[in-house]
Amino acid sequence: MEQPSSWLARIFVGVLLVSVATVILVAFNLLERSVRARLEAFGLNTLIAREMITQQDAELVVAGERGDRFGPLSEMGRKVTLRQLFSRAHTDVQQHMLVMTYAPEAAPQLQPLMGSSNGILCLSESLREDLVFNVTFNRQDTMATVRRPDNFLRPLVQENILLIPQGWAPEAERAGFMETVVFQRDENAPPMAAVVNAINNVYALDRRNAPQLNTPLHLVRELETLQKRQAQWRLLLASLLGLAVALVYGAIAVLEFRQNQYVTALLRSFGTPKVFLYLRHWAENAFLANVAAAAAIFTIASLHGKLFGTLGFPFQIVQPGSANPYLSIEIALILLCVNAGAILSSLPVAFGLRRQVGEILN
Amino acid sequence: MSFRCQQISFRYNKRTPWILEQFSQEFSSGITLIKGASGCGKSTLLRLLAGYLSPQGGVITTPLGGSPRDPEFQRRDLGFVFQQLNLLPLASVLRNLEMAASLAGFSREEVDCRAARYMGLLGLEAYAERRPGALSGGQQQRAAIARALIKEPTVLLLDEPTSGLDDLNTQVISQTLQNYIVGPRVCVICSHDHRLDPIAHEILDFNRFLPLERHLVTLVGATE
Repeated sequence: MEQPSSWLARIFVGVLLVSVATVILVAFNLLERSVRARLEAFGLNTLIAREMITQQDAELVVAGERGDRFGPLSEMGRKVTLRQLFSRAHTDVQQHMLVMTYAPEAAPQLQPLMGSSNGILCLSESLREDLVFNVTFNRQDTMATVRRPDNFLRPLVQENILLIPQGWAPEAERAGFMETVVFQRDENAPPMAAVVNAINNVYALDRRNAPQLNTPLHLVRELETLQKRQAQWRLLLASLLGLAVALVYGAIAVLEFRQNQYVTALLRSFGTPKVFLYLRHWAENAFLANVAAAAAIFTIASLHGKLFGTLGFPFQIVQPGSANPYLSIEIALILLCVNAGAILSSLPVAFGLRRQVGEILN
Repeated sequence: MSFRCQQISFRYNKRTPWILEQFSQEFSSGITLIKGASGCGKSTLLRLLAGYLSPQGGVITTPLGGSPRDPEFQRRDLGFVFQQLNLLPLASVLRNLEMAASLAGFSREEVDCRAARYMGLLGLEAYAERRPGALSGGQQQRAAIARALIKEPTVLLLDEPTSGLDDLNTQVISQTLQNYIVGPRVCVICSHDHRLDPIAHEILDFNRFLPLERHLVTLVGATE
């Protein structure tokens, strides 16, 4: 009773529209996952403060008795203070390795990493754990043992770090250093924003430039912005998709209006109820739209790795993890809008069914 | 058993004159032939009887006591042949018949059996797999009648079933209708065709009742 080209047109348009919407929404999902991964790597409750102490600075104290502005943080969580030296060490495994010193007070925090080592460690994510290698620093030779940083120190380790006790290389320390405080707040401590404010206030009262603070706040903000934008896009895109499906399917329904009207009038003359005819048309539209949507989503899911890898997403993010982007709210929304579009596109048929059979058939 | 129209009025919209006004008539079992001038509303009356149009006033009661707009009546008890036949153009003759029987609720076996019977009765076996467009006017007319008869309805309404047909085709149709309308079955035929007069149990001059044509009747009377 109907031309197959009409079915094909509806399926083709459905596949095209749903594919575009799925790619965009899954890309948003992956983007969010990427920011979340960065956030998790940094640690949601971790703060790193860095302050440059130069040779001319009155606060340059080599022995470590310098007043600790971050002292109060010890009551709010875990804290360790390290000094990043300006000169680098020569080692068997790396020509110029970053060097940091730790004060005796920091020893308890580092104790789990020390083990049976000589107190000189190499924090590394890439070198083999427990590897022992030669180190030359400040005209002294020693051995260092590789350790994996724990969750507390991981945000600090962007490259291999040689960790030595304070006073082991006093000449290098006298040249100045970057005082680095790693702080991990307790769950019941004041929020990170309040901690950041407090640090800035302390420095302002001491009339010193505020230290460089690395917190996950900007990542959290980035994530919030992304989520907010994603929600808007999700709604906009899904609405546009529903509207497009309604318009295209509706346009096809209008083009077929005369043919449909004739056939439905004839079926009504045989006593077929109007509601059944409307539901049949709606079910056909819904079936075609859902088949098209499922085909599009399945195809994109099958090509997921290649497609989103080509779009520049890192391998780890593209890999299907615990959250499958194809079983997400975005896909549910797409299907919802496709079905809403199918209902809207049935309106011309509903309108046609209002006419009496005797006005259509002669 | 009879089809009853009580005080029915109908017009296609508010700006056009009444086609039927306060029209009352009872159609008893047997064949009633409605005759009248072109455009006098015979076909409209037939569509009202079938429930395909709703009167603006009055009541129509089917021989089964209900309203003709009841889908159950249209599905099981009504056979209708349109003036323009309205066979499905993309379906074969056989499929057209099968569809009508299936929609009436008959089983697959019953549909096959009835299709074979009525195709045979109206001489359509050779054209079973042809589409209506490939048939002659007479064959199409017979196919439309076979489609109306296949569900063996209590009420059969035919709009100009023999217009433009040769005598042989008209005879086949007349014979089929005469054989079918027995017992309590009601058949109403709108036609100008005098060749159908012999099979009618009652002939209704529609011009007498209708406001549109009343002035024509008056004019003719004045001339005479």
